[in-house]
Amino acid sequence: MMPVNSLSHALAGLILLCAFALLSQRRLAAMITLIQAEALVLSLAAVIQGYSQNADALYLTGIITFAIKGVLLPMALRRITRRFNLIRAVETVMPVGFSMIIGVGLIGIAVMVVLPSAASAATQTREDLAIALSVVLLGLLVMTTRRNALSQVIGFLSTENGLVLAAIGMPGMPFVAELSVALLVLLALLVVGVFVFQLREHFEDLDLSGIEAIERRGR
Amino acid sequence: MSLTAGVVLLPFLAAIGLGFWGSPLRGAYANLVVCGVVFGLTLVVFLEPDAGALGGTVRADRLGMMFGALSGFVALTTAISNLDFVRGELERTSPRRWRVYHAMCQVMLGATLLGFYADNIGLLWVAVEMATIAATLGVSLPRTASALEAAWKYFILGGVGIALALFGTMVIYLAAQPAMGPGLAAMSLSALSAHAAQLDGRLLTLAFVFLLFGYGTKAALAPLHGWLPDAYAEGPAPLTTMLSGLLLNVALIAILRFRHLLQANADAGGGAMHPGPFLVTLGLASLLLTAFSLWGRRDSRRFFGFSSIEHSGIAAFAFGIGGVAAIFAGLLHILLHTLIKSALFQALTRSAALRGGAAPGNFGFSHLRGMLASNKSLAWLLGACVFALTGLPPSGLFASEFLIISQTIQRQPLLSLPLGAGLVVSAIAIIRLIGPLLFDPPPRGVIEVKAGAGIATVGLHLLLVLVLAFAMPLALVRMLSSIAGALQ
Repeated sequence: MMPVNSLSHALAGLILLCAFALLSQRRLAAMITLIQAEALVLSLAAVIQGYSQNADALYLTGIITFAIKGVLLPMALRRITRRFNLIRAVETVMPVGFSMIIGVGLIGIAVMVVLPSAASAATQTREDLAIALSVVLLGLLVMTTRRNALSQVIGFLSTENGLVLAAIGMPGMPFVAELSVALLVLLALLVVGVFVFQLREHFEDLDLSGIEAIERRGR
Repeated sequence: MSLTAGVVLLPFLAAIGLGFWGSPLRGAYANLVVCGVVFGLTLVVFLEPDAGALGGTVRADRLGMMFGALSGFVALTTAISNLDFVRGELERTSPRRWRVYHAMCQVMLGATLLGFYADNIGLLWVAVEMATIAATLGVSLPRTASALEAAWKYFILGGVGIALALFGTMVIYLAAQPAMGPGLAAMSLSALSAHAAQLDGRLLTLAFVFLLFGYGTKAALAPLHGWLPDAYAEGPAPLTTMLSGLLLNVALIAILRFRHLLQANADAGGGAMHPGPFLVTLGLASLLLTAFSLWGRRDSRRFFGFSSIEHSGIAAFAFGIGGVAAIFAGLLHILLHTLIKSALFQALTRSAALRGGAAPGNFGFSHLRGMLASNKSLAWLLGACVFALTGLPPSGLFASEFLIISQTIQRQPLLSLPLGAGLVVSAIAIIRLIGPLLFDPPPRGVIEVKAGAGIATVGLHLLLVLVLAFAMPLALVRMLSSIAGALQ
């Protein structure tokens, strides 16, 4: 069992690294690559947890994560950046260095809050939970420090990866696959929302009521 | 399949049908029929209390049944007033969008009922998440720049709330591990509450903080309330104000149930913190914040959105004070506020429709002044609703607020000062509206028009509020107090 445990620990650490690196990136293309890497590692972690807990649902979670968050969503996000020419650096609310310092603080808080209060849980679960909470908080930090809608979505994606990481680390938790699918529905809508939003911003001068009239005549 | 599962699934099935077929008007009538059937079923559910369904994940307890029936009732009257709304706004939106709108009304209703009937904390979370998606789609429907912006704000804030709530849900599961082991039981609200004393107290506290901020976002407690005024002001009125008001209740009831776990654990010496201070702080913050935000609003829906935040805050405060009477008062407050607020929005939407259409831009106070000139009965009903919202007698809210204040004086006397100040300031802010809204000279060119029979639902709501507050049937009193006793 031991090598499996340390392997899943290492993967959780990699996910945390990706989530932290997101904070330092100001280019959307690089952020998308990072989030893709994060999702790929997460799907591997889910499969390994599925093997160690002997739970089929976790294999399913891994496959879904791989297919949608590892492949499809990054493709969609890249298309949006290309279509609307969003290659320039994203505006941030505060300097990158400063937000990284806050990020380190958040990781510290997560560890300090979770480790003592989860004293009854197994060491493995406890540490996984601390890492997962750090990823969640870092994702939220990305969402608050970026002004651009697409990078907010990327922040949310990272938050969500943290949640799935927490879920797969819970011993024998039911409905993990179902919950991760429910989260994906939310994400898919967010991406569509970004698309509509960008469309709106892109054609700001264009009056959309014209489109609506055409739409009505069409049927 | 049991009845409870049927009530929950019916709106979702109807949503599929409404989403793909039918003209707008036919959709509105179908929506009405489904809401009628659902309301009937929420009453029939009372015949088989605590019956498990869908593998034990859905189980209507008394609290859930009561609020389920309330939601069914509000959905039905909303569907009635929705007929007028659709007739008035028919030309403004494409048929495809009307279908989405009616489908989202049903999804909202289904998710609300699921939220009340769910026994599984994961399923509860899914219900809130679905309602968020439905509300966002609803808010974005007018497709104006401000509507899209409001929808985006709602989605981002709601998404953060949902993420926090899911994390809290998982930590609850972890807290139950030592006592209950892996499996479904550790996610069942009734099983958790039966074993509350053996849960890991410190993990439970951690979970509660996440759940409070997560579901608190959906209940629009300050400082997480930012989405609500925008969402209320920009979306199509029946969906985003009346139906999504029910979602506030789902979140508040969820918070109440988790509060009970924490309280029971703390009382049994399980090591959890008392939930009171958390809830009292957030509740008072919401109340005081809105008491001052109510001044100087120009848009009526934004104004009454802020008032919803206030009442969410009062209920959370009452739950924080704790004890049977305060929780009874908090529940009563939610019941009455829901009835009054949905009646108010029905009257408001009809008023705006009489003044040239219920589009988001037409809800300004300057646009709605002097309603007596447009239609006398509607104006008086509107005035009565606004007055009922102040909490002055003979408004029903007086009964619940009086109970909350007297409990506060008994248990935490110092807190009654800020509570009273907040209540008074917001009551003044609301009551000063009645004059201009009814008696001011109306905008030029306004003539008296018929309001239609649809406004009878507003009167029905107000009547129900009076009965519930001052002549509540004994059976209902017994039921509410035994619910409050079990959750204290």
